[in-house]
Amino acid sequence: MNDRVLAVRDVTKVFDEGRQRVHVLRGITLNVDAGELVALEGPSGSGKTTLLSIMGCILTPTSGELVVAGRPVRSRDEATLRDVRRQSIGFVFQQYNLFPALTALENVEYSLNVRGTGGRAAHAEAKRVLARVGLGDRLDFLPRDLSGGQKQRVAIARALAGSPPVLLADEPTANLDTATGGQILDLFHELAKREGRGVLVVTHDPKVRRVADRVVGIRDGRLVDAGDEKAAA
Amino acid sequence: MVSLARKNLFHDRLRFVITVAGVAFAVTLVLVQVGLFMGLLDKSTVTIRHANADLWVTSHNTPNVDFARTFPETAVLRARSVPGVARADNLIVAFMTIQLPNGAAEGTLVYALEDFTSWNLPWSVQQGSPLDLKRGYSVLMDRSAALRYGPFATGEQREILGRRFRIVGTTSEAASFTTTPIVFMDYRNAQELQEQLRGNTTYVLVRLAPGADAALVQAELRRRLPYNDVLTRNEWARQSRDYWVKSTGLGMSMGVTVFLGILVGIVIVAQTLYTSAVEHIKEFGTVKAIGGSNLAIYRILGEQALVAAVIGFALGAGFSYLVRPLMAAIHLNVLLSPGFSALVFAGTVLMCLGAALFSFRRVAGIDPALVFRT
Repeated sequence: MNDRVLAVRDVTKVFDEGRQRVHVLRGITLNVDAGELVALEGPSGSGKTTLLSIMGCILTPTSGELVVAGRPVRSRDEATLRDVRRQSIGFVFQQYNLFPALTALENVEYSLNVRGTGGRAAHAEAKRVLARVGLGDRLDFLPRDLSGGQKQRVAIARALAGSPPVLLADEPTANLDTATGGQILDLFHELAKREGRGVLVVTHDPKVRRVADRVVGIRDGRLVDAGDEKAAA
Repeated sequence: MVSLARKNLFHDRLRFVITVAGVAFAVTLVLVQVGLFMGLLDKSTVTIRHANADLWVTSHNTPNVDFARTFPETAVLRARSVPGVARADNLIVAFMTIQLPNGAAEGTLVYALEDFTSWNLPWSVQQGSPLDLKRGYSVLMDRSAALRYGPFATGEQREILGRRFRIVGTTSEAASFTTTPIVFMDYRNAQELQEQLRGNTTYVLVRLAPGADAALVQAELRRRLPYNDVLTRNEWARQSRDYWVKSTGLGMSMGVTVFLGILVGIVIVAQTLYTSAVEHIKEFGTVKAIGGSNLAIYRILGEQALVAAVIGFALGAGFSYLVRPLMAAIHLNVLLSPGFSALVFAGTVLMCLGAALFSFRRVAGIDPALVFRT
């Protein structure tokens, strides 16, 4: 499919822990299309963060295929994976992971610098995406001077900067109150629908069902309620 | 471009102050200690450098200009007969005892010549004239002597080896390595004071005729004065310096001081940078997760080390240069040249970058997946 921005097929992940081999993922197949918001739910230890790491090219699978923005990612070479992350994936973390010494604007601008955009172009793009998430009047605020919701908006702006087609969010509402969490989920929904990004949100938050196009469960390294995923692949 | 390195460095002000203070301390230690050492060494050759002699004839194995040994003064006649020699004169350098008004006896280093003005000695006369030394028992006394002898003035008298001398003027900058004050007197007066100086000298100063080949003249002097050493001005200065550096352990002591200064700097910078790197591990993980390489993180640490080096050096060097006049007031010369300062700056940069290497090792293995851990 032309608008498929992220896909894993029959992905497994096995960790060697001493003499033990731990099978964290067991043949996962999952697709995310452009303009689609997919929620991934599962209890602790189910493998959802490992799956997110593989889809974000931070970890490599033991077996299976990964395709990001139409580009098959077969290499295990760190430079190649880094290149894919830089070009195609925006991350939003549970703890925001903002740089405390940088203002909101600098946080976004720095991520653009890392992605290879510098100077005025980075500055203008950072301002644009911060305005996009409703923080146009908080550009010079340090993270410590922002509320939890505002911090998460900065983190989302950072993920949006450079217009990657894929957004991966790890528990983005876990540290937010109900109202703010709801606003953040609405923002993800809007980004998927208006900007055509593929959004995968790993969450425990039941409110995500309100905005998600699909909800996929994961238990013991296997997708549940995922029969349609196999068919779609 | 946003500099995460500088922003992080200035964000944690206390750590930044500690890092910069560590560098500044190391720089000050090295600059002031080595500057003092160079200043002392400068004193060890001050008369050699100011006397306009091209060659020095000394007795065999004289270790340095202050510790002179006697030889027959007729050697000067042989020196004068060598082709290429424009002028040759005897110079006596000898330790003597001076009696102070309070009854105490002190050492003094006597420089005695027949014609001081021909040899640019003394080179900085504050009061009186070297020509006055021809008038009876008279001396020019260096102003630095006031530290050891107490205040004195022109017209006063002091007893040297039982003979009363009138102070007819004062000089400056004539301070020996041994800190013994220098006085200048007529050659014959000096010979009169010490039995062993009668008919003897301690050096022959030689000036070359215009166009004369120094090496040839030196070789001929050596041939005609087989019981003496004949050294060029530079050779003699180097030999005098080397004596203090090698024979007294001063060089080793200075080396240890410089090493300790650098060690202190490395330990402080390495420790603060390493702690900072550990505390920012999650940030570095984020940098990696969003597409940054190890190199990008090394650059952050390297830039922080460089900033600490530049600011620390500026503070340390500034303090060292400021302290010079204070040291000079107590007659301690801190000799700081732009070349040496540049060398210390380069060393500071290397020291800080070297210290950052410890942090490089720590961050090299950061797993970007740690961004998903809470």
